Amino acid sequence: MRTSAGAAPKFLNLLQIRFPIGAIASIGHRISGVLLVLSLPLLALALDRSLRGEAEFAALRDLVSAPWRAALLVLFVWAATHHLLAGIRHLLMDAGIGSGLPQARTSAWAAIVAAAAVALIAAARWLS
Amino acid sequence: MRLSIYRFNPESDLKPHMQDYELAPEADDKKLLDALMRLKTIDDSLSFRRSCREGVCGSDAMNINGRNGLACLTPLAGLKEPVVLRPLPGFPVIRDLIVDMTQFFAHYHSIKPYLINDTAPPERERLQSPAEREKLNGLYECILCACCSSFCPSFWWNPDKFIGPAGLLQAYRFISDSRDTATAERLAYLDDVYRLFRCRTIMNCTEVCPKGLSPSHAIERIRQALVRESS
Amino acid sequence: MRLFLGQRAWVLQRLTALVQLFLLALGAATLLIAPPLAYERWYALATSTHGAVLIVVFFATLALHGWIGVRDIALDYVHPPFLRLAVLTVVGVILFAIVIRVVLTMAAHFAGGA
Repeated sequence: MRTSAGAAPKFLNLLQIRFPIGAIASIGHRISGVLLVLSLPLLALALDRSLRGEAEFAALRDLVSAPWRAALLVLFVWAATHHLLAGIRHLLMDAGIGSGLPQARTSAWAAIVAAAAVALIAAARWLS
Repeated sequence: MRLSIYRFNPESDLKPHMQDYELAPEADDKKLLDALMRLKTIDDSLSFRRSCREGVCGSDAMNINGRNGLACLTPLAGLKEPVVLRPLPGFPVIRDLIVDMTQFFAHYHSIKPYLINDTAPPERERLQSPAEREKLNGLYECILCACCSSFCPSFWWNPDKFIGPAGLLQAYRFISDSRDTATAERLAYLDDVYRLFRCRTIMNCTEVCPKGLSPSHAIERIRQALVRESS
Repeated sequence: MRLFLGQRAWVLQRLTALVQLFLLALGAATLLIAPPLAYERWYALATSTHGAVLIVVFFATLALHGWIGVRDIALDYVHPPFLRLAVLTVVGVILFAIVIRVVLTMAAHFAGGA
């Protein structure tokens, strides 16, 4: 009987595991959540600037003039959309709506595709 | 057919490695387990668990081409080659495809998987109406193969504290049983950041259950029962 | 922190999400009723009593929801107790400071613009 902990290997190479679509939606929910927490201080600053007069308010619209800022904004748009959609999906599933496997697979796909589409539209608008 | 199998011998290996096999299956080799049994006649050092060979005992759970399943229920036809076989993810490996299930069963025992009833026992037996019995469908069929818990990311990160989908499905099986009077105690035990609330509804458990059960649904119902109880 | 034991953190995570959903829907409806959001209108909306309170509530629920999420991540991936406590404290202090900053912003304009 093997008892010495640490001696036994474990198989846990995430690249060799085939993840169902729900797991992809879930890790996306987590990553987008981290991005949104990171963007919260910037959001508070943007709120402050938007109230500091006509010029500052207008300056916020010109944020996308620099490509790197536009790219960050696209990332933010993806994070916000994915987190919102995947979050609504979770709230509904917690209430027992669409928590069966076929519906949950469909809604996971829907959230992933819709968030990617919204991010692509944002990218097309700001990065071209 | 070609197979690539995870090998680890604790007596001679420091690290696991993958070993490739060529196998000519015979006509009546229908399931992956049949191929493994045939492989064992070629290389008798290959180790895996199996018993009933028909999806009832739950011994031959393993990671098949990246997804957990029972070898005895997995048809050979349609398997992508090389068929990559690894032990259940996240569990300590004893040898080859055999994993240490000690912790898994400790979680199972922790939820008191037996009827608790402090009322005086009746003359013959505690009866259930057909409707009450119906509630146990989809719960009692679990064979404790660990496909679900070992495919659950939350279980990977906290295998010592999170009960895991298999244990929680069993917990709900006794919570739902009309003959059990310990529902409040069972719910109080589960109301914990780790034991129940590490679940993030990823639903990997339901995806891989070889019996078609839904641990994620059981967890959903436990959480609803907790909210109802505290409001 | 009894507030975050067991199901309470889970319920708070969902309640804050519901509040945010409501406020986002309210914001979207306001925009849809009269599309162009020029500075004058935005300033008047944001610095009204309702606007200022709702903005502060929005940021407060974002901070709380975010902290619970960071805690979930730390419970999964950050296992050394001291390191986990450090992460949760630092993130908590920063998120709290952000909410204070928003309150100050709104108070400054509220006093001047009422």
